[in-house]
Order: sequence, then C-alpha cells, then structure tokens
Amino acid sequence: MARWRYVLVEALLGLRRNLMMSFAVVLSVTVSLTLLGASLLLSEQVELATDDWTGRVEVSIFLCDDRACPAITTQQRQQLEDDLTANPVVSEVFYESKREAYDRFTRLFADQPTLIDAIDVSTLPASFRVKLENPQLFGVIRDQFAAYPGVEEIVDQRDVLNQFLRFTTLVRNGALVIALIQLLAAGVLIANTIRVAAFSRREQTAIMKLVGASNWYVRLPFVVEGIIAGALGAGLSWGALYYAVPRVTRDLSREVELLPFIGVDQVIAIAPLMLLVGVGIAAVSSTLALRRFLQV
Amino acid sequence: MIRLDDVTKAFRRGRDVEVVALDAISLEVTKGEFVFVVGPSGSGKSTFMRLLTREQIADSGEVWVAGKNLKKLRRWKVPLLRREIGYVFQDFKLLPNKTVRENVAFALEVIGRGRKEIRARVPEVLELVGLTEKAESLPHELSGGQQQRVSIARAFVNNPRLLLCDEPTGNLDPATSVGIMKLLDRINRTGTTVVMATHDQQIVDSMRRRVVELEDGRIVRDQVRGVYGYGA
Repeated sequence: MARWRYVLVEALLGLRRNLMMSFAVVLSVTVSLTLLGASLLLSEQVELATDDWTGRVEVSIFLCDDRACPAITTQQRQQLEDDLTANPVVSEVFYESKREAYDRFTRLFADQPTLIDAIDVSTLPASFRVKLENPQLFGVIRDQFAAYPGVEEIVDQRDVLNQFLRFTTLVRNGALVIALIQLLAAGVLIANTIRVAAFSRREQTAIMKLVGASNWYVRLPFVVEGIIAGALGAGLSWGALYYAVPRVTRDLSREVELLPFIGVDQVIAIAPLMLLVGVGIAAVSSTLALRRFLQV
Repeated sequence: MIRLDDVTKAFRRGRDVEVVALDAISLEVTKGEFVFVVGPSGSGKSTFMRLLTREQIADSGEVWVAGKNLKKLRRWKVPLLRREIGYVFQDFKLLPNKTVRENVAFALEVIGRGRKEIRARVPEVLELVGLTEKAESLPHELSGGQQQRVSIARAFVNNPRLLLCDEPTGNLDPATSVGIMKLLDRINRTGTTVVMATHDQQIVDSMRRRVVELEDGRIVRDQVRGVYGYGA
C-alpha cells in the first residue's frame, strides 16, 4: 500500500516538475490517438455501409413484380436461378424475397424512420444477389440475363458503393498512416521526457540503488509517470471523438441519404482499445528509455 | 564478511590502453573488523569499494561479500546484497529537498519497509548519530559534519552487516573528522564490519586499526595495528 502511494506520488511530482514536457507528451498522444481513433471509426463506417449482405453482393438482379413489368412466375424464377448457378462466372447466388429486402432496409436505416415510413413490404423488389468469380465480369452477366423474362433490372452494386468506399478507405488509410507516424513520435517524445526526468532525479536514483531498492521500485515511478501522461492523452482524444463523431455523422446523414452512419455506440466501443494503445505506448517507451539509464 | 581471491579489474581507456585498477588482489576481512584502505589517488581504492557493492564486476577472481559470490549473484538479487551494506560517501549525497528525518527514512521506504518500523527506527538512529534536535532541518541548514552524520544514519538505519565509507572525512576539518571517527567506531562496536577508504593520515594513525595499503592496484601492506605510512 505504502509502496503504491510512493510510486504514485513520485510519478505525479515528476509530471508537475516538468510541466511543459508533460504537456507536450499529453498533447502528442492526444493527436496521435485521435487520428488512430478516427481511422478505426472509418473502418467501422466502411463495414457498416457494406454490411454482411451488401458486402458479399456484387450484382443485383431485380425481379418483376407487376409494377414495371409482369410479375415473374415461379417457373421463370427457377430457370433463372438454375442458369445463374450453372454459370461459370458466378461464384454465389442468394435469393432475397420482398420480405427480406424490407427487413434489411429497416435494419440498415433503423435511425432514419422517415425513410422506413415511406415504404412497406411490397415496395422493394425481390432479387437475386450474385457474387462473381471476378467482379470485373459484370458485363457478361448483364448481357446474358438482361433479356430473361421476369428480370426488371440488373445493377452493378459496386458502382453504388465504390465511390463512397474508395473515398472513405483513402481517408482511413491516410489517417492510419499519420496516426502511426504520430504514435511513433509520441513514443520517442515520451522516452525522451522520461529520460530527462530520470536524469533530473539521478541523485535520488543513485541513492535508492545503493541502499538496495529493487529495480522496479526505482523504475516504476518513471514508468507510471509516462503511463499517466499516456492515459491522459487517450482520455482527451477519446473525449474529442465522443464529442465530434456523432455530430459529424448526423450532419452527413442529412446530406447523404440511403447510407447508414456510425454513431456514439461505435465511439464507445473503441474506448478500451484507445486507452490500451495510449497506455501501452507510454509503458513500452518509458521502460525502454530507462533500460540502460537505470541499470544496476 | 569480505573475501577477495586473486581479483583483477582493468578498464579500457581509449582503444588499446588498459588501466589495471586492481591486480590479482587477495584479501579477507572478517566479521566485526575495522579496516582502513589507504593509498594514493588511482591506487584502486574506489574500484575496490565498487566491487564490493557490485557496481562493478571483477574481470577474474572471486569476490565474496556477506556470504555471496558476487560473480554468480543474479542481477535481481543485487538489491538484496546492497541491503546488507551501508554506504557513506565523501560528499554525503543527501537529498536537498528532504529533511534529515526524511533522508534517513527514505532508505527504509524505498526497500519497502512498513511505516510503523520506519517511525520507530529513524529516531533511534538519529539519536545514535546525535542529530535528534536536527530531525526537521534541511541538509543545507547543517554543517558538513552534521551532514555526514545524516549520511551515516542513512547508511546504518537498515542495520547493515557491513559499512563501506568512501573518504567520509575528505570534506571535513580535522576536529569534525574526529567526531565522525568516534561515531564509526561506535557503530563498529555494535558488530558491524567497517571498511573505510581514506587519505587522512592523522585519522589512520590515531585509530590504530588494520590498514591495507594499495599502490598501483596491488596490496603493498596489510598491517593489523597499522599507521598511514611506514615513515609516520
């Protein structure tokens, strides 16, 4: 008990003694973790937008339901499914009924009730959802099946999502790269700060070693000093995301309809990871910084 | 308490120049002895002391302290060795922002001793060194002799079996030094082995204890009731 109090008091003293450096460390951890968190959330966003179902589908063959063309018969549907399955270009085929289409829609846009109100079970057409051996072969499918009786429209789903996904993925990767560079910089800064702290307390450290303090007793205050700064940075960056992300996505969902956006739940979900990374980078870099310096 | 068998320690200075600090030294110090280690600067006194605390490791030969073979001592056990050794420096090495009491207590705190024990033990030691009145003073408010007493109190508070003193009177005037020597003598009489490296001829001559003289890394004299130099 007394030991932990000693370690904590020493760590806090160290942070206060070198306030400017501590500030720099917290700030750089905050910046890097904000970027890391943002890239994580963008991944979540991509995943959400290309949910399990849509993500696997590259081509949708929408079926007639008496609106634009006479409804497809069971026999025609069976024929279509058999031909699709037999086609060498096709790797997977799913049938999605009207009911399933409606369910998926309501699930995807659960937070946009006006959209859901505008449709009912009969609005969305049934479809075959097709995954291709090679997504570039969309043209082959369209040419072969567009003229089938009961087929209303064949859509390359990738077109719909691709633009959005390409942009999002680009931003995510950019954020990830910058986050990693920043994280490295933060690690170096932490290591340097801890080394300065250890140097400024070298007399105390020398005495501790000579009276027989264990290595961890000597080192722990410095490591904890780094960890506190790392955790503080993680907390700040998470707070920034918690504040900003729901506001940004709310605005976006007004602009971009028909696309689900992440919300506060996803931000909460990445909190442990951000804390872990912040504390981890601080612990590792301060331990490395001390390894040579405080050798017995 | 201490045994050195054929111990050699050399340092590399530059690329090819090697300085032999200790050259095939063999020495035994039994429990409860008071030993002066004398010799000119660069004769190997400091290296000798550092080998005993395992700040440095002998190149060859064996060093035994408090029943431990330091060559085979695992690194994580070094702190345990040092808890059996008290160390007194020439320049005191007190923490300037801690009071006398805190400086002494610090040595117990950092080896994880309980607060009850610390509260009981620290006043005892301060009384032994005659600084009860100065417990709440800061080091800079004390004279050199008083600071050295604090340093001794800190070295002794853990009841070490061995007290190593590196020129403890080096920064003190002769009258003050006598007081410090009386204190070390008193500690020695409690059964603590004392090894003291020194330049101070008067002190060595007046104490008439065992004297080990080093020169160029060799023991040139080991006398039971010695004086500083043959000529003295």
